Amino acid sequence: MNLRESTGIALSALRANKLRSFLTLLGTIIGVMSVIAVLSFVEGLNQFVSQKLLNAGANAFYVDSYGFVTSQEAFDEVKNNPPVELDDADALRDGVHSASMVVAGADDHDFLRFRNKDMKGVDVHGRGAGWEVIEDYSLRSGRTLTELDDSRRRLACVIGADVAEELFGNLDPIGRQIRVGADTYDVVGVMEAKGKLFGQSQDRFVTIPVHTFVKVRQERPFLTVAVKAVDQASMPLAQQEARNVMRARRHLGPLRKDNFGITTSENVLELYRTLTGGIFVVTIGVAAISLVVGGIVIMNIMLVSVTERTREIGLRKAMGARRRDILSQFLVEATTLSLTGGIIGVVTGVLLALLAGAVSPLPTAVSLPGVVLGIVMSAGIGVFFGSYPAWRAARLDPIEALRYE
Amino acid sequence: MLISIRDLHRNYQVGTEVVHALNGVTLTIEPNEYVAIMGPSGSGKTTLMNIIGCLDTPTSGSYKLKDKEISEQSDDELARIRNHEIGFVFQTFNLLARADALHNVELPLVYAGVKHEERRRRAREALERVGLADRMRHRPNELSGGQRQRVAIARALVNRPSIVLADEPTGNLDTHTGEEIMAAFAQIWRQGNAVILVTHELDIAAHAHRVVRMRDGKIASDERNPNPTAVKDLDGAVAPPAVPVVDR
Repeated sequence: MNLRESTGIALSALRANKLRSFLTLLGTIIGVMSVIAVLSFVEGLNQFVSQKLLNAGANAFYVDSYGFVTSQEAFDEVKNNPPVELDDADALRDGVHSASMVVAGADDHDFLRFRNKDMKGVDVHGRGAGWEVIEDYSLRSGRTLTELDDSRRRLACVIGADVAEELFGNLDPIGRQIRVGADTYDVVGVMEAKGKLFGQSQDRFVTIPVHTFVKVRQERPFLTVAVKAVDQASMPLAQQEARNVMRARRHLGPLRKDNFGITTSENVLELYRTLTGGIFVVTIGVAAISLVVGGIVIMNIMLVSVTERTREIGLRKAMGARRRDILSQFLVEATTLSLTGGIIGVVTGVLLALLAGAVSPLPTAVSLPGVVLGIVMSAGIGVFFGSYPAWRAARLDPIEALRYE
Repeated sequence: MLISIRDLHRNYQVGTEVVHALNGVTLTIEPNEYVAIMGPSGSGKTTLMNIIGCLDTPTSGSYKLKDKEISEQSDDELARIRNHEIGFVFQTFNLLARADALHNVELPLVYAGVKHEERRRRAREALERVGLADRMRHRPNELSGGQRQRVAIARALVNRPSIVLADEPTGNLDTHTGEEIMAAFAQIWRQGNAVILVTHELDIAAHAHRVVRMRDGKIASDERNPNPTAVKDLDGAVAPPAVPVVDR
């Protein structure tokens, strides 16, 4: 009895009981489908995040007073750290020789007004010159902020594409004045749109010189100093230099811990990986439960099938089928059953992921290992849960089987 | 000698009681004999048939098929013997409902490991021999009782067994169709097979050349039938009521 023969028998048995087969396979279908859908989502997120994060912060790291805090305990340790100040940024610019750029930044939000048009809750970024390189924005029109804007604490700003569109419509914003909270600024540039990240616009902001920010908006803001190393290879050295500069400025003895934080996009990626790893584990757990349930249903239906076809088994034995022929027939049948469920699950899972990607801001990408995993798992389920019914079929006594009513 | 049975016993445990289904049967059957085994129910004829068909093994005694001691064979070997040496015909036909006639006839060849093309060819031939050339693609539920039994006969013959073993082959058929089936058996016998019929109907047993009667697990009588009923063959020839050829 070859594989083709057994598969043919199995498929015709599947077709003979369409509704029953479908109900039998529901557990497997749902299990595989959820694995595929979630893995596609995670894969999409992975591609998206690593692309965005790596682009944005290529060879850059950030110095601030807390660092990358991911737990209450970690926060308790750093909450009394002294703030990072603009002088620190200047010191880093002087002291980190393997840095190509050092840019201080501080954020808050406020309303904007142009003539009689208002925008509420717009991000206000205070930035040093060169911020657009680190944050991966390009200029659409006008000019960007300069060292001079910063050192003179000018009331100049560049705006994001959304702000330009919403406040100015068809007008050219360059050279016009807008209100940002209590102050009036000259618009000197408009940045190119970057699109949405997790449904949030990245183009709804106004950027002003960081010294202006400190002078007119917040005297002691939470500052983050971005340091861009000259290349990938000098990242560790640049970080070490930055650390030395900061420790020296704060007079930390060799036994004292850092009272500031250095964060790289690698840290963020790591946390992100831990998070999606968690999603992955939970999904696999949930899917495993539904697959086990699906497997039990398959085992049950195979036991029913063996009972229903007792006479057929007896006949096959009388015609010369050996135990292993019967065993493999029912194993192949169970596997065909579960594999069919697996394939349906893969297809619906992929469709679901694509649909989710099309109608929601969630980035999705079909995960090839996920597809392979789904198919292998469903086949494994068939073999595992099919073996007991198949063994029962194989050891039937031919005489009793033939006599079975 | 095709079949040699000596002092065969077969006991079943039913609850606390031991039932002696066969209680010392001795019987020899030559190749190309046409034998009917008769007896009331409970006489042991079905048990004897199951043992001859290698579906069951004796409790004690010896059963040699072509000089091979059956009780010494493994499960797989018994399956192989059933596949190569024995063609079963059942009272209830036992066809696979989902498969067409051709596929049903192919079944023993599947287990014999015959390649697909060859299987098709031989199954077609067997169906032609029982006069069902135009019904090959029909499923059992599209065939009459007689046609179903002829499919079963084609299936029994397709792997060229030395024995065709039939258990009440006309039990589910009307008299006329029964005659048709008996004609098919006469034809099988004339082509050189041994035919063993198990029946309790005298009319049917009268077609055989030898009638073995059983009672209480023993052979009560074993007689030649000098005048077997002649029937019209499927191809119109009349089967000669001749004494069987002993040598093959």
